Amino acid sequence: MDQLSMIHPAYGLYLVLIIAGGAVAVLARSLVRALSGLIVTLFGVAGMYLLMAAPFIAFMQILIYVGAVTVLIFFAIMLTRTSEGESGSEGGFIGRGILGIWAAVFSTLVLAGVVIRHMPQAIPLKPETTLERLGEFLTGPFALSFELISVVLFAAMAGAVFLGFERRKAK
Amino acid sequence: MNYLVLYHLAALILFGLGLYGINCRKSLVGMLISVELMLNGAGLALVASSRLTPAADELGQLGTLLVMGLAAAEATLVLAIILIVYRRFGTTEIAEISTLKG
Repeated sequence: MDQLSMIHPAYGLYLVLIIAGGAVAVLARSLVRALSGLIVTLFGVAGMYLLMAAPFIAFMQILIYVGAVTVLIFFAIMLTRTSEGESGSEGGFIGRGILGIWAAVFSTLVLAGVVIRHMPQAIPLKPETTLERLGEFLTGPFALSFELISVVLFAAMAGAVFLGFERRKAK
Repeated sequence: MNYLVLYHLAALILFGLGLYGINCRKSLVGMLISVELMLNGAGLALVASSRLTPAADELGQLGTLLVMGLAAAEATLVLAIILIVYRRFGTTEIAEISTLKG
């Protein structure tokens, strides 16, 4: 419990970052603003990884998500130029917004109820896993997953390039 | 209320926000942003579960790393698909890109 009170201020800060960024990401009318909210959220999640003494994952989060995925999404926004025409989550039929809120709140509340009711026993934070240990695990028991994710990444990149070429040939 | 539950609730907030966004966004790029939110919630829950329970630490951390790789692959493919859709329909608003009548 003392650890809980010790961890609180930074946790609260990151939680505020996550909630505020996420709200901007799903509610902003301009897609560029939504993307900025997403970036704030990603930094909040990286901070939570740091709080859990998992710095490798935190830096991978910043490197992969903030560095790569965000740039990809920004390219998507830029190449389709929907930022001025995007009507966000409002406008159109109002029933869809209500249904969306209902679906999100209902499923979140059910899952939160399950988590709180069957509250798992937490142990104090374990000592940080070294990078060497992670690497050994990745090339030992996780070797097949490691190879498979490489194949998936290659297939995705090749598919994207193929789709791009196809578009140019059809023109 | 221990702090494992706190981290899981933060992951749930991310999940709920992403679910709302995927239901209510009107363009494909907005839906992609919402999917990224949900994937982040999944990663946060994985790392919290492996760091704060007696489970093997490497499982959660490397699992999150694989989730990040999948998210990168998914973002690449969705970018290509969005470009094709924009080329063909001239818009990425999801209400406009239906070719079925009725």
